[in-house]
Amino acid sequence: MGDKPLILAVDHNRRNLELMSQLLSQESYETVTVGSLEEFDQVLNERTGIKLALVDIAGFDRSVWERCERLRAADIPFVIISPRQSAALSQMGLEYGARGVLIKPLTVKELLGVMRSLL
Amino acid sequence: MLQQRLSTGIVGLDEVLHGGFTPGRAYLVRGGPGTGKTTLGLHFLTAGSANGEKVLFITLGEPEAMIRQNAESLGFDLSGIAFLDLSPTPEFFAQVETYDIFSPAEVEREPTTRKIVEQVERLKPSRVFIDAMTQFRYLAADPYQYRKQVLSFLRFLVERDTTVLFTSEGSAEAPDADLQFLSDGIIHLEYAPEGRTLCVNKFRGSDFLSGRHAMRLGERGMEVFPRLMPEVYWREFALETISSGVPELDELLHGGLERGTVTIITGPSGVGKTTLGLQFMKKAAGRGERSVVYTFEEGVETLLARCEGINIPVRAMMERGTLSVVKVEPLRYTPDEFAHLVRREVEEEGARIVMLDSIAGYRLSLRGEDLVGHLHALSKYLANMGITTLLINEVEHITGEFRATEVGISYLADNIIFLRFLEMGGELHKAIGVLKKRVSDFEKSLREFQITRYGIKVGRPLTDLRGILSGTPELVGK
Repeated sequence: MGDKPLILAVDHNRRNLELMSQLLSQESYETVTVGSLEEFDQVLNERTGIKLALVDIAGFDRSVWERCERLRAADIPFVIISPRQSAALSQMGLEYGARGVLIKPLTVKELLGVMRSLL
Repeated sequence: MLQQRLSTGIVGLDEVLHGGFTPGRAYLVRGGPGTGKTTLGLHFLTAGSANGEKVLFITLGEPEAMIRQNAESLGFDLSGIAFLDLSPTPEFFAQVETYDIFSPAEVEREPTTRKIVEQVERLKPSRVFIDAMTQFRYLAADPYQYRKQVLSFLRFLVERDTTVLFTSEGSAEAPDADLQFLSDGIIHLEYAPEGRTLCVNKFRGSDFLSGRHAMRLGERGMEVFPRLMPEVYWREFALETISSGVPELDELLHGGLERGTVTIITGPSGVGKTTLGLQFMKKAAGRGERSVVYTFEEGVETLLARCEGINIPVRAMMERGTLSVVKVEPLRYTPDEFAHLVRREVEEEGARIVMLDSIAGYRLSLRGEDLVGHLHALSKYLANMGITTLLINEVEHITGEFRATEVGISYLADNIIFLRFLEMGGELHKAIGVLKKRVSDFEKSLREFQITRYGIKVGRPLTDLRGILSGTPELVGK
């Protein structure tokens, strides 16, 4: 499956993860999904070859930023998905190394566009 | 060339639409909650399935089970109707984790569209009812997308020769002007305090009966009573005169009353107006003709008993079908519904004389406004159909200065016959006279009028009295 880029999707909401992986597999991406910080850590420790991460920060506490720093350290580009328009959150996300901040609800077209530009 | 039409399943609505829907078009039914949109759709679909057509009900709000239950209690046979239930399931609510990462438009539209396309391709229905189209609004990212989607959806159906009926829950908060523009016709349902109405605002490629028509949602679903447009109805009839059966009365009228005319019989209470009208019906029954009396105040039994007492054999006439006495309950009908009753009598039962007892009763008993206007339309219709119409008008004044009618309806009448009380030598007498007769000449003198147990008696012209119209006549000195 080497030709399918591996995408890490992080979301506290299971249904969101389902929809996201549905969309990504339709678009011929390989997806690994993560619903909690523990899983997040596990994946960061064990998986390699992640090309891009999509991190929905809703439902996580501040420690999600530590994982973002790990992503940056591992040279994995990532996009923050924020539940609302907030300058402070966007600012923080970008400080921790995010390549961009997307506001929910996402439109499929926009999301795919952003992903393509980062891969 | 006469267009082929598709019955709506409602007789009155077919009439309003000059035959029904044009096949392969999309029609909008709009109206507030409880105005009968779904009922109209059920009529539309069952009319198709009764014809052996394939029909599809797409529901986006109310679940199928509930629709079935309601429809069956109204007596609809849903066995031939296919359902596509796109209403939210209870599991949807129980799913704790609902999504928020994409908008519903992104997530739900595709599966919804796919289900519809699959079902339509498989069933190839000739009629589709969509309840309610406005639900699709939430599946569109913006109004432009919505409009485009609805248009292409309708085109998808119409290209398959499907006739589409779709509903809209139009309100100030969620306007449906866009749907109105892109439909081929609009049926607007309304529920006002004076009754339910149906109004066609648009009907591409055909004429229709304009204005608000009375509508009733009852035990058998929806009934529509098209507004009476007298000019639409017309039939050939001989301009003959019908006799009253009382020679002196015929003399007074120079033969009797003509067919296709409206006669107002006016006079104070108890003078014998109704009896006079029934006298014409008695004679007509002898010729085998049918008459109808609509009584607004008096009970049927009292009327019958009264007539029997004066040698008008109403019961025998009713048994033979030459007379029908209908009691109109107060506030039961709107003028359009009442006109519908009368039309049925005229067009199906072949009634030749129609009497409304009385004009005041008509105005008090029917719901709605502009009752004189409606009465005018009804009279005009009856005249066009060659019916002899008798309108009973009660004047409040027993004696005193003469007046013909009090509510400004004299203009309705071709003929005005008046009855009044006279005081002569300390005795109460009655007199009958003719005030107006459009088609023929008439006797200008008054005659004495009596109601006996042998029937109506009209005496010789009262030419030796003067000042009759004042109520206290004097003998002309000889």
